[in-house]
Amino acid sequence: MPSMKTLPILQDHGQPQRLSGKPGQRSLWQSIQELEGRSSGRAGEFAAGAAEVPPELSRRSFLQILGASAALAGLGACQPPREKIVPYVKDPKEDRPGKRFHYATALALDGYATGLVLAASDGRPVKVEGNPLHPTNQGASSAWDQAALLDLYDPQRAKGIWRRGQPLSWRGFLAEVQKLARAHDADGGAKLAFLVAPDASPLLAELRRRLSTRFPRARFLAWAPATADHAAEGARIAFGRPVDMHLRLDPARVLLSLDADFLAGHGESLRLTREFARHREPGAEMNRLYVAEAAMTVTGAAADHRLRMRPSEVAGFARAVAAHLGALPGAEALEDPARDRAARVVAADLARNRGRSVVTAGERQPAAVHALAHAMNAALGNVGTTVVYTKPVLGDATPTAAALAELAKAIQAGQVDTLVVTAWNPVYAAPAGLDLGALLAKVPNAIYHSLRDDETSRRCSWRVAASHPFESWGDARARDGSVSLVQPVIAPLYESVNAADLFAAFLEQGDKGAFQHLRDYWQARSGLQGQAFQARWEGWLTRGLVPGTAEPADGPALNAAAVAAAARSPAPKGEGLELALAPSYGVFDGRFATNAWLQELPDPITKVTWDNPAYLSEATARRLGLADGQVATLTLQGRSVQAPVAVMPGHADDCVTLALGYGRSDGSATSKGVGVDAYELRTAPDAWFAVGLGVAPGKGKHKFAVTQGHLSMEGRPLALDFDAQEWAHGHGGHELEAQRGPVPSAQPPVDYSKEDYKWGMSVDLSRCTGCNACVVACQEENNIPVVGAEQVAKGRNMAWLRIDRYFAGPAADPQTVGQPVMCQHCETAPCEYVCPVNATVHSPEGLNEMVYNRCVGTRYCSNNCPYKVRRFNFLDWRGEVPAVQTMLFNPDVTVRSRGVMEKCTYCVQRIERARIDARVAGKKIEFVQSACQQACPAEAIVFGNLNDKASKVARLQEDARRYDLLHDLGTRPRTTYLARIRNPNPDLA
Amino acid sequence: MTPPAASAVHRDPLAETPLILGHPSDLQVNDALLKPILDPNRGWKVLAGLAAAGTGLLVLGITVTLARGIGMWGNNQPVGWGYGIINFVWWIGIGHAGTLISAILLLFQQKWRTSINRFAEAMTIFAVMQAGLFPLIHTGRPWLAIYWLFPYPNTMGIWPNFKSPLIWDVFAVSTYFTISLLFWFIGLIPDLAALRDSATSRVQRMAYGVFALGWRGSARHWHHYKIAYLILAALSTPLVLSVHSIVSFDFAVSQLPGWHTTIFPPYFVAGAVLSGFAMVLTLMIPTRKAFRFENLVTERHLENMAKVMLVTSMIVSYGYLLENFMAWYGGSAYEAHLFFKTRLTGPYAPIYFMMIAFNVLVPQTFWWKRARTSLTWLFIASILVNVGMWAERFVIIVVSLHRDFLPSSWGMFFPTWVDWSIYIGTISFFSLLFLLFLRFVPSVAISEVKELNHEMRHGQAGTGGHA
Repeated sequence: MPSMKTLPILQDHGQPQRLSGKPGQRSLWQSIQELEGRSSGRAGEFAAGAAEVPPELSRRSFLQILGASAALAGLGACQPPREKIVPYVKDPKEDRPGKRFHYATALALDGYATGLVLAASDGRPVKVEGNPLHPTNQGASSAWDQAALLDLYDPQRAKGIWRRGQPLSWRGFLAEVQKLARAHDADGGAKLAFLVAPDASPLLAELRRRLSTRFPRARFLAWAPATADHAAEGARIAFGRPVDMHLRLDPARVLLSLDADFLAGHGESLRLTREFARHREPGAEMNRLYVAEAAMTVTGAAADHRLRMRPSEVAGFARAVAAHLGALPGAEALEDPARDRAARVVAADLARNRGRSVVTAGERQPAAVHALAHAMNAALGNVGTTVVYTKPVLGDATPTAAALAELAKAIQAGQVDTLVVTAWNPVYAAPAGLDLGALLAKVPNAIYHSLRDDETSRRCSWRVAASHPFESWGDARARDGSVSLVQPVIAPLYESVNAADLFAAFLEQGDKGAFQHLRDYWQARSGLQGQAFQARWEGWLTRGLVPGTAEPADGPALNAAAVAAAARSPAPKGEGLELALAPSYGVFDGRFATNAWLQELPDPITKVTWDNPAYLSEATARRLGLADGQVATLTLQGRSVQAPVAVMPGHADDCVTLALGYGRSDGSATSKGVGVDAYELRTAPDAWFAVGLGVAPGKGKHKFAVTQGHLSMEGRPLALDFDAQEWAHGHGGHELEAQRGPVPSAQPPVDYSKEDYKWGMSVDLSRCTGCNACVVACQEENNIPVVGAEQVAKGRNMAWLRIDRYFAGPAADPQTVGQPVMCQHCETAPCEYVCPVNATVHSPEGLNEMVYNRCVGTRYCSNNCPYKVRRFNFLDWRGEVPAVQTMLFNPDVTVRSRGVMEKCTYCVQRIERARIDARVAGKKIEFVQSACQQACPAEAIVFGNLNDKASKVARLQEDARRYDLLHDLGTRPRTTYLARIRNPNPDLA
Repeated sequence: MTPPAASAVHRDPLAETPLILGHPSDLQVNDALLKPILDPNRGWKVLAGLAAAGTGLLVLGITVTLARGIGMWGNNQPVGWGYGIINFVWWIGIGHAGTLISAILLLFQQKWRTSINRFAEAMTIFAVMQAGLFPLIHTGRPWLAIYWLFPYPNTMGIWPNFKSPLIWDVFAVSTYFTISLLFWFIGLIPDLAALRDSATSRVQRMAYGVFALGWRGSARHWHHYKIAYLILAALSTPLVLSVHSIVSFDFAVSQLPGWHTTIFPPYFVAGAVLSGFAMVLTLMIPTRKAFRFENLVTERHLENMAKVMLVTSMIVSYGYLLENFMAWYGGSAYEAHLFFKTRLTGPYAPIYFMMIAFNVLVPQTFWWKRARTSLTWLFIASILVNVGMWAERFVIIVVSLHRDFLPSSWGMFFPTWVDWSIYIGTISFFSLLFLLFLRFVPSVAISEVKELNHEMRHGQAGTGGHA
């Protein structure tokens, strides 16, 4: 902090000493007031150093302390202790209103962190970006990472500390916890239990270690709804101990996914997407992906061969492939001859690429399939090249499926007096039949620490509001083990408690503060003192990464016999259909159900928003007499839910897929009653799929809010794709010739070659997986409103950037291609000449600009836009924005009013920011990224200056795969596409 | 006045029916035409009450739209224009008959126009008033659109975009309305003077006196009046062609399949005349009966209008045919898809076939004299044609927009209650204005009828020109 000296601050309780950064280095956090520059008046009251306490107490200092103590005595009661925030005495030169500061931090989902950089403007975070230095995401970010910002500013977050409906002050809470803790000291914490969320935080692990030292008999259970211990169990079978399996896709040429959606979801999907996408360009280095799955996933949509099968059939298929590979003794032929042939061909393809192939099993598959995948990788010699094993990163907070049952048993036996729950919403997400709500109500002191009040908080006697990760100090580990420090970028918006502070409270160190705990821990771990540690600490904070913390590769020995034994376990048999459960791409396991951005995010495959239809195949729907949108009763083991069905192209037959996380009975208006609660059908043994589902057609009809109702290209050259082989023979090139090049136009072409900049974009359909990261990034960057399910159904979705999804081929087993579409910035734009008031005009650099102030809303431009990328504010989508949510808005982008047209601007605010910086530096703009490009894990979107022939986008526009969307209209779009190339196996044609 | 109907029955079947039956005297003409004003019928109040109530719907619809936004309508992405623009084009089209009858038929010396021109002009003005509402209320921010669409010097230094057909619309429609209003008013002056002179109450005398502009019927007055009337007729004539041509440019200038069509200007004008004449018939048939104008607005008038409808319907049919031909001949896959798939088999196909049935087939019955002279059929047919013309605008606007280039953006349009209440509201408002017109202004041009009467009596006009 530039203007701060190291101030020896009063060592009163609740006022821990705060060590600050070096001058000129902004690695630590500030208050909003500081960054907004509002503090200058107050700060100027005292001259520098006037507030310092001299070594010996003078009269003046004594009175000062006396006064301060009196003034501060009451303060501690209303707020948890915070590290002392000292305002600037003088504003630093570089801090001006509107100036962006970037802070490296991290965000963990179910224990695995993504490295992030938060952009803060005027003291408030306004944009989430991936940390380019972080190994697991390399600058990319997911839709969930992006949407975390909306959670931060959610006015409906939990606030304060409540015990049996009575508010508690932080100090009161600490006192109460101290009493509790001391009461548990007597029996070593036998009646104390912790139900924690999976996490790999070294600090939290250390606190838990200290807790278990104090309370040796306390129970520590880790649990999360969307994880199961299948992978760990599989590793235990194969290697005798749990290990984490990491994929290295750069060298991989042939990939087999056994129901693994590794290109989306949590963990390492961002890195995997990047590595996978890098090898999707035609040529010898192109990879080939086989996916065996039931419902079409992002990974399945990216596959060259998608082998649709029910989840229970995947094990059999894996066995067959393993047998062909020689990884499993005794080859058995599969019943279905086509699938048997597929297994043989896949095995042969894998075998041809020894050491350059990957077999990966999905979290939802049973342990045996994971074990088989390990065996196959070992047999293929992939270990060490494409597959790396490490010690598990989650450690003691590894979630287990049995955790809740164990807890329930303990509560029933009266062995739990105090329960601390930091896991997310166990009452809602617990397996069916486990009435955890009633049990929690029995626990005398159930302390629930959560970001929001939900189903669980109603049942717990204590509710402790959790601080958002963007408000807290902490640390986190990525799946590869890399540690990131989590630093706050804003003071907690509401009275709330950090997880570390909560654990520390049981150690009677709650008033020390998470910052001090964190620093002490890392100082002890580094073994450094004073300035040496300070320098290193600041380096970690600045880079967002503690170097050398990635787990080293492990070399576990495979127990082939155990794998073979496990693989023999029979497939589940039963009457009826199969139910498959899956985390949602929007709300995940339900924890993002209160996030409107994610609720309105279209499903990557079916484009459904605000809903979780029961997906099934066309043939199954026909057989059951179900129409799209018809409500059906799904019955499994005596439990049933009413769910509207939807036909998903390419879904496996005789199987119904339902996403988790919907149908919440509590939470905000955003989550309540949206969709169907799939947890009602979920049992502990059959966490992800179960046989024996009954489906009875019901009477009701449900209208899904879809953003794309028509899934066929109607034979039009829109999202183009070619097989690698035909591409290699020059087919496709001819077809693309017709989709690019000059077209006669009545509008005379403008010469842009004299301009410094000619902005353009390239979208590579071969790389794009349709993961939606760009969609949320755009929404966040450009202040795009959400409109709600009803308005989406009416066709008024506001997304500037959408991903069109087209299917081709037989509906049962189609090919699919996704196509991100945003404003194409046509040089001869049809929207411009029809606007009666000149509200949409062309910039000299070729941007198609929208002048919101001038727009009167005739919507003529939208009618004349062949790409239909313009979005109209049909109503006042925002209404009265709660004060806290106004902080969410990107101050560089106008918030549009009712009656105004809007659309993609190529992030013109970023261009202008870069231009200002370049001008100040006396240079030309060298680097500018659009928000969608920055988030994209696949590097599919490239934006830049076409007049700079060395730029990547200029090179890509000369690519052989380049074509223009609706080229024959002569719009001369600045956004161009690169055709998708598929790499099918000719043997499987 | 009881017309001696017998004389009309016994006549040569090949000879044309005279334009005025029964050789009434000037006094009889005066009495007959002023009676609805000076001695109103009780039924008027009931109708006016109904129309006023319906106008309430319009007020409600517009209020809701202004308060909440266009989102209260069914419009969406991709259907940016819905009922607002459909109704605009429909009303503008209806507003064509008046000027055509008054101006063009005057210039061509079609004497039969005399009994119906006032009526048709009033209808035009009221229809254009309805039409004029829509471009304004359909915008997202009407409070700005109301003046930003006009070129006025301003401190921002911004002009409207003269390349945009919407700007041409503003000029075309406002010019048309102004000229039509003046034309109608000038024609009214002698009759207003007659009303002033026959009025029984002082208030009426004052009111009509003000609007009569001191008309005394001197030869000098008549001289100037005739010249002014003729000049305005000459000015209006090109407007008949230009207004709907320019309205059609809203579509033709764009690049959307189904809009991007060069046949649109003539085809729109013909459609406008078709719907305009249909609306005149719809209004004329009951009025004529209620006010007992049968001897002034004769079957021949109605028959002539049916003939005009037949001709314009065939031009419109040709337009339909050529659109389809060009969709095939042009070779654009997008256009072919719209014309041969979306329109014929898409979700709005019934509306397309309704348009063909009502605009192409129904007027074909007018080849038969029985159809042209059957009041019931004329009335039904005129309503069907207006429904058909509304369907045509629906097909052009909604059907073209709802499935355009990228199938990913295809969507459906469903009107809301606000859409309907505004539409029904404009019909009511139109009816209300028309009822007020019938009540307070001579609905048939008295002076012109008298003039024609005299011409006929002195054998100058004979049967009154060619129809």
